[in-house]
Amino acid sequence: MIHVRNLVKRYNEISSEGFLALQGISFDAMPGQIFGLLGPNGAGKTTALRILSTVLKPSSGTAIVNGFDVTTNPGDVRRQIGFVSTNTATYDRMTAWELVQFFGKLYQMDPETLQIRMESVFAKFQMNNIRNMLCSKMSTGMKQKVSIARAIIHDPPVLVFDEATSGLDILVAREVLDTIEQLADHGKCIIFSTHIMSEVSRLCDRIAVMNRGKILAEGTLESLADAHQENDLEEIFYQLISRSELHENKFSQQGLEVL
Amino acid sequence: MLWSNVKLIFQRETRDQLRDRRTLFTIAVLPLILYPLMGMAMLQVAQFTREHSTRVWMVGTENLPQSPALLVDGQLNPAWLSNENGDLLQIEKPLASDKKFQELLQKAQSDKSMPRDLVNQVISREMKSRGYDLAVFHLTKAEKEAEAAESDDVPKASIVVLHNSANDRSTVGADRISRILKRWRNGIIRDSLHERGLPTALIGGVSIQRENVAPRAKVHAATWSKILPFIVIVWALTGAFYPAIDLCAGEKERGTFETLLSSPAGRNEIAIGKLLTVMSFSIVTSLLNLFSMASTGLYVASKMGSTVGGGLGGLGVPPISSLAWLVLALIPISALFSAIALAAAAFARSSKEGQYYLIPLMMISMPLMMLPMLPGAHLDLGTSLIPVSGLMLLLRGLIEGQYSEVLPYAAPVCMVTFTCCYLAIRWVVRQFNSESVLFRASEKFAIGSWLQQVMRDRNDLPSVGNAFLLGLLVLLLGFFVQLAVGSSIPTTWLDLSKTILIVLVATIGLPAVLMAMFLTRNPMKSLRLNRCTISSACAAVLMAICFHPMVTWFTGFVLYVYPLQGDASGKAEFVSGLVDQAPGLWAVLLLMAVAPAVFEELAFRGFILSGLEGLKKRWQAIIVTSLLFGVAHFAIQQSIITFAIGMILGVIALETRSIFPCMLYHMTHNSISILLPRVDAAIVEGSPVLPWVLHTNDGTIWQYSILPGITMTLFGALLMLWFIKHPSPQDNSELLVSENPTFKPAKAAASK
Repeated sequence: MIHVRNLVKRYNEISSEGFLALQGISFDAMPGQIFGLLGPNGAGKTTALRILSTVLKPSSGTAIVNGFDVTTNPGDVRRQIGFVSTNTATYDRMTAWELVQFFGKLYQMDPETLQIRMESVFAKFQMNNIRNMLCSKMSTGMKQKVSIARAIIHDPPVLVFDEATSGLDILVAREVLDTIEQLADHGKCIIFSTHIMSEVSRLCDRIAVMNRGKILAEGTLESLADAHQENDLEEIFYQLISRSELHENKFSQQGLEVL
Repeated sequence: MLWSNVKLIFQRETRDQLRDRRTLFTIAVLPLILYPLMGMAMLQVAQFTREHSTRVWMVGTENLPQSPALLVDGQLNPAWLSNENGDLLQIEKPLASDKKFQELLQKAQSDKSMPRDLVNQVISREMKSRGYDLAVFHLTKAEKEAEAAESDDVPKASIVVLHNSANDRSTVGADRISRILKRWRNGIIRDSLHERGLPTALIGGVSIQRENVAPRAKVHAATWSKILPFIVIVWALTGAFYPAIDLCAGEKERGTFETLLSSPAGRNEIAIGKLLTVMSFSIVTSLLNLFSMASTGLYVASKMGSTVGGGLGGLGVPPISSLAWLVLALIPISALFSAIALAAAAFARSSKEGQYYLIPLMMISMPLMMLPMLPGAHLDLGTSLIPVSGLMLLLRGLIEGQYSEVLPYAAPVCMVTFTCCYLAIRWVVRQFNSESVLFRASEKFAIGSWLQQVMRDRNDLPSVGNAFLLGLLVLLLGFFVQLAVGSSIPTTWLDLSKTILIVLVATIGLPAVLMAMFLTRNPMKSLRLNRCTISSACAAVLMAICFHPMVTWFTGFVLYVYPLQGDASGKAEFVSGLVDQAPGLWAVLLLMAVAPAVFEELAFRGFILSGLEGLKKRWQAIIVTSLLFGVAHFAIQQSIITFAIGMILGVIALETRSIFPCMLYHMTHNSISILLPRVDAAIVEGSPVLPWVLHTNDGTIWQYSILPGITMTLFGALLMLWFIKHPSPQDNSELLVSENPTFKPAKAAASK
């Protein structure tokens, strides 16, 4: 479903002082699977997910989403994907209904299908009471629901959640996680990035731990536990990042700050 | 591009803007209430000025000629009022009981030695302290004056109207009383002539009358033609301003930009959708302002027309055709402003930052909008090529109905306007496709850490930012040095030499060398002081010779389009006169060919072009360098010519990787320009080639013959092709310094 190979991203490519945000990462994610990208701030998670959603272009390497290349077929990739991140806010001056409808129309959905789909999504997320409410009047949780509704309105096979529970209270966060689980149960391929270990432990079928634009380890929770002789994901994460920072010879200055 | 997506984005953005109270207020509410409020305020002020009378202090009027009388029963004689309202002038005289002033007056009347200024001061002080708006005073006794003026046979009476120009009421009152006094004076003359049996028609002498033959509609059109284009264009820019910021910087700030970018809408569709929205708001704002201002203006004019002497009454109703022309012109001008505003706003990360970018845009546009308002501005080939100004002048002509005068220039105006529109729209689309623009990281700027970083992280070659910094520095230094030098015009050859050298060294050469030394690790390479082949050096010299006819013709064309104005033309002749004082031709060539070639090339094709090579495309580097080179020459005519030469020099620099062929080209070009007007007829005639290339009509000014000139240009183009086809290999660009450590660039270039 998603195949990423040697993905490199250099920011500020014109200048010689460019910054390597991704240093050749590779991974695969399959339908019905939740693939977790775990890493400290600045690890390159958001960059990787922005490339998958075609918001950014890779400097080199390939990323295939449901058979379409992000570089050569970005338009087709966007139709295969639903993207929710901390940076994809809702439009304050639109109602929930207008917002979801607008994106449905952008996905070229015919009016009847869109109407049926919207009724179903609004019912599923219990959003009928806020359908005519301006997003500016909504709580953070409500906005996040609208964002998810917007991302799944065209029923995409791939969903990307970049720190989707960031800033949410525990009740809303749990609701979002339940939704993601349900979407995976419906056969969607889900990429989920976070730095909250408990969410990864609960949701993810496979995990990739990232730091400084590289994937340090990848596998199921069990395989990672076996490899590190440790059941606690937080401890595994700490060990991997510490080793990586030591390798970069910067642990003494930055290692603890990173965590 | 899917137009359905463009339409969806346009509709969404428009709805979004219409729901934003701030935008709505600026776009719609403000124009609708601003002018009516201003109109109401003007009417109130007019009413205020109408109803307030002026207190006039009449001092010494008992000594004025009594036949005919100026005053009757202490008030102005109605015979002199004509259509003036006598009630608006409250005449008062000094009280007999005011002993102090009477004494002062007595003294002033009796003391002939008292200077007039002092009398004025005394009366003025007393007038102010008593609260009068103005004073009319007459001090000398009429009888004595009549005696003194007996020989002239004309009665003389000196009356002073003392008023305060800082006070409107005083000024208006002074105008009124002056008109009345003039009628009274004419009355005295009439009576005097009548007594002597002379015709009273002598008073008028020669009668001069002005008759306006323009039809009323044309008068209205002429008045509107000055106001309407300015209003329309200013508000087209203002209307684009806020939506552009909100649609780009605002979206980034609110975090919705990425939501849209991850949708199926392509970047081009997003850019065009947003552009159409900004454009619509720009047009609507402009039209609403036009409507509101015109209707309010007409209403106020009709109300005030009778009292302000018809000054505003000249407005009348704007011709319908003028509105049609305005609407037609509004579309490209709104597209241009919207595109530029949107592209500039795309850089910004927040609305506040967006305003920082757009305010300079407004400041750049303002002079272009003000230029057509200047009294002598008219549409010709030169002004038609200036963006915005040309369009405004064309509009003005069309509104005035001067079709035959302005329509010949409609094509260049449209060409310039549509080219600017096209480039601006391309810029917007590029901005929306550029990650470095859309995802610009926030950076905190501190001058200390920046300098530290600049010194620590410097590279072999200058960065794009370094190049722009030098360009800006050259422009600023040049401006201030010219300002300083401009106040003391050189009067001798020596002064002229010093001035030119100071400008070249201090504002161009030295900054380039210092920046190369301190901001880069390899100053020699940064200044492009690389070895060049003999063939490329010869080719550069040959190319300068071959292209000279073309440049001369181009210069002629530029001077035809933008003729040198009196001051600049006189200055050029003056400098030419100073050059004739030079000790020899060698000195002229050294100062005006060698020195500019060395210093300007070091800065522009050396440091600046090296830095701008960091841009994505080479032609961008050449164009930007040439633009800076052109602007650094200040005068528009010279800027255009040097821009064109800069393009040729840019190609040579990039292909040869060395500054020396550029210096040689520059030096050869300037030398020919200096020598050509001074060449002796005997030399031309004695040469085997020159009589074929040059001809003269009057024996003094040599011109290139057409056919040889074209042949030379074609040969120059072939040489240019040769440069492009045979670029110097990268590894050949060893530094001369490595071969010759004592090498000094300026001397080396000068010796060539």
